Amino acid sequence: MAARALTRGLLGLRHSRTVTLTYSGGHHYATATSVKSPQPQVDEYTDKILNQPLQKPDFFRVSELFSLKDLFDARVHLGHKKGCRHRLMEPYLYGCRLDHDIIDLDQTVEHLQLALNFTAHVAYRGGVILFVSRRRQFSHLVECTAKDCGEYAHTRYWQGGLLTNANIQYGSGVRLPDLIVFLSTLNNVFQQHVGIRDAAKMNIPTVGVVDSNCNPSLVTYPIPGNDDTPVTMELYCRLFKMTISRAKDKRRQMEILHGLSAPSTPSSCHE
Amino acid sequence: MRVVAGIRFGARFSSCRPTRSSSSSAADPPRSGFAAAFDQQSELRREVQSSAAGPRVSSSVQDQSFASLLRRSPLVQMGPARDKLVVGRIVHVVGDDLYVDFGGKFHCVCRRPAAGGEKLQRGTRVRLRLQDLELTARFLGADTDTTLLEAQALLLGPVDGREVHHSQR
Repeated sequence: MAARALTRGLLGLRHSRTVTLTYSGGHHYATATSVKSPQPQVDEYTDKILNQPLQKPDFFRVSELFSLKDLFDARVHLGHKKGCRHRLMEPYLYGCRLDHDIIDLDQTVEHLQLALNFTAHVAYRGGVILFVSRRRQFSHLVECTAKDCGEYAHTRYWQGGLLTNANIQYGSGVRLPDLIVFLSTLNNVFQQHVGIRDAAKMNIPTVGVVDSNCNPSLVTYPIPGNDDTPVTMELYCRLFKMTISRAKDKRRQMEILHGLSAPSTPSSCHE
Repeated sequence: MRVVAGIRFGARFSSCRPTRSSSSSAADPPRSGFAAAFDQQSELRREVQSSAAGPRVSSSVQDQSFASLLRRSPLVQMGPARDKLVVGRIVHVVGDDLYVDFGGKFHCVCRRPAAGGEKLQRGTRVRLRLQDLELTARFLGADTDTTLLEAQALLLGPVDGREVHHSQR
């Protein structure tokens, strides 16, 4: 099952760092900000490889991967009918033509750039990316995309405790995905996919393609756009695959360039 | 807020764009009559001259805003989808059902006709008469419409060598 692919590595993300507990107002909690980098020689590595991409706004040049014309030709701007519209999608709509919603591609271009840039940074740092889509029509396409870029996909039935109950369902020390990409945020009965809410609960950022009948509020990087046409889905899959491949190649390039090798632990997300 | 490009071709502004208003350049008072026509024609002439002189390809691709792309797209130029003739391509076949993609958001599903049905395979181009671009209906007690994620069209037949003069696209 694709769900089994979530178990990866022996050390979970939460256990591989030295986490300091901070005491504040009677509550004990461990926050990511309180994690200190233990060894001093890691700083040079950190600075050159991890911090350098953060200096520029578009380090991976994802804005060159697509243009507004490409989105238009792939019918990204076509939304559902007026009666299917979600109230919270109204800011992303250009208007309504003969009862059909038209999504504003100028906004979509900005959102897509942000989403691809974020995906590239996550992939650059060796994060686990999970593609989720419950559209059976595109299930094979999504799974092939994930396989081609070396990431993971889950296009089957989502068990309730997949993220929230992972330690019990899959054994302790499971590494959860660092980014979840929803190529369609609805499930087969037109309700919001459970994964969006669960990812928000587990502090996992999400990128999601939201159509005019979807709820964009819990998605970290929504991409307003069509999610029903095969041409459009192929475009998205191609863009994500190119972004992730580009980011991973860049990482290898940077490591060779600076003559440093990756640290010994499998998860290279040291801060 | 949103400049409606392509006032050059003057004609019909598409109805119902409630959230956007077209604004003219900077602080000019809205011109009418001869003044507006003069501005339009001189702008047209300038553009013809500049496009004849300079390189066309790069500027035409980059300068096209979403508004002008949308206005000139066949889907918008077509108008209401009822009884419009389009050409589609069969993308999937399940027994007697043909899934035809004609450039809209959804495909339409047509039954294979009894006569001449063997010619219609994946990749065949067919003529359709559209009925609806998306089949939706609001049922009692529901918040939103229920959608079938399909369009509806009548299959007229394959696109033959001879061009039928009233078919679009």
